[in-house]
Amino acid sequence: MLSSLGNPRQAAAQLMNFGLILSTAFMLWKGLSVITDSPSPIVVVLSGSMEPAFQRGDLLLLWNRNLFSETSVGEIVVYNVKEKDIPIVHRVVRKFGSGPNAKLLTKGDNNLSDDTELYARGQDYLVRKDIIGSVQGFIPFVGYVTIMLAEHPWLKTVMLGIMGLVVVLQRE
Amino acid sequence: MAAAQEKITVYNVADLKNTSDDAIPNYLNSLKFTQSHRLTDVRLALGYSAFAVAAACFLWDYKLGFESTKWATAAAVIVYMVLNGALTFWLLAVEKGTVYVGRAPTGETVRIATASERQAAKGQAPQYRVTAQVEGGAGVKGKAAVEKLVFTRSFAEWFDEAGNFVTPPFQSMLARAVPVVGKLDPKRVAAAPAEAEQKTLPATASQRKEAASSSSSYTPELLDALAKNLSGATPAEAASSSAEPGSTKKGGKRRKA
Repeated sequence: MLSSLGNPRQAAAQLMNFGLILSTAFMLWKGLSVITDSPSPIVVVLSGSMEPAFQRGDLLLLWNRNLFSETSVGEIVVYNVKEKDIPIVHRVVRKFGSGPNAKLLTKGDNNLSDDTELYARGQDYLVRKDIIGSVQGFIPFVGYVTIMLAEHPWLKTVMLGIMGLVVVLQRE
Repeated sequence: MAAAQEKITVYNVADLKNTSDDAIPNYLNSLKFTQSHRLTDVRLALGYSAFAVAAACFLWDYKLGFESTKWATAAAVIVYMVLNGALTFWLLAVEKGTVYVGRAPTGETVRIATASERQAAKGQAPQYRVTAQVEGGAGVKGKAAVEKLVFTRSFAEWFDEAGNFVTPPFQSMLARAVPVVGKLDPKRVAAAPAEAEQKTLPATASQRKEAASSSSSYTPELLDALAKNLSGATPAEAASSSAEPGSTKKGGKRRKA
């Protein structure tokens, strides 16, 4: 089994199999990203600010194209605060104006106050460009794996290592 | 001791097939076949270029962000899907289970594809189906003749109960079934145990078919003995029929009158 790796072509082929699994997963993600026009088409809910609608660990599916109508009040959107990489999932509660420069105010359903304190210093509102997608559907609980991987980064290395070993040693 | 003694689990059909597949190039190349790696090389080229596209996409997305590289990413995704599709097509339609392509020293081109099959009846060993396509080389009248041989043998013929791969019966099986190989390795053809109903070695096509479809003449005890004595023992110690399993252990030729 391992002795077959002495043949360089075979070793290259096994390595290629492993590499193709990774790259196919990545390209599927990128393809979804391009179709939805969102840099992160699937996000995980990290806090309980949208309860009872969304719980911590839910997986959200996003869509970032305004094909039929503009982003309007009542939609649940995901946005990144300027200079921070944490996606926030809240509902649009106010909209001033229309078009791409309309000013949007968001608030979590489970929060007492709106998001004005969450925005960057000097920023009082969001514009359409800040939003990376609006929620179209969700899958409960599945996102907990991502939360675990994020909070314990060594898990990622372990998982990848196990996957790599399994694929390289098994030639089905 | 034994050169390529591989011990595997007999219940893993994929291992049985892969170990047998690995033995074919070793055997044929030792008979001075020149192996052609064209199929593998094209597969590697397609796979690695797809991987390179994905790696490039990853890099520019990481360095420049999503918004500015959106269109390049879209193009990369399409190129990747096309390459991956081409690779899948190559594997399914062109390679089709080929494990060896080579040119015999006598000029013929040999292409061997294999597949494993579960035996229909319960309790029997899985089968190894070999498709050998031989394209006639020098000395064939008119157009080059393409000869296609398909034969199926049980894995139990060259694996003993412990999972050891026993080389002589495997090589004999190939030498008997594929005349191009048999010509180059008469020792293995001669050493193969004669079938109970025939006295001469298979030389004509009909006899080859008989040989290919009849049951194994290598008993489990014989395979064990062969596995233990791979260093100098000749395979001619085989019994001539499976009716006398115990008589082979003493060695020496035994022939039915």
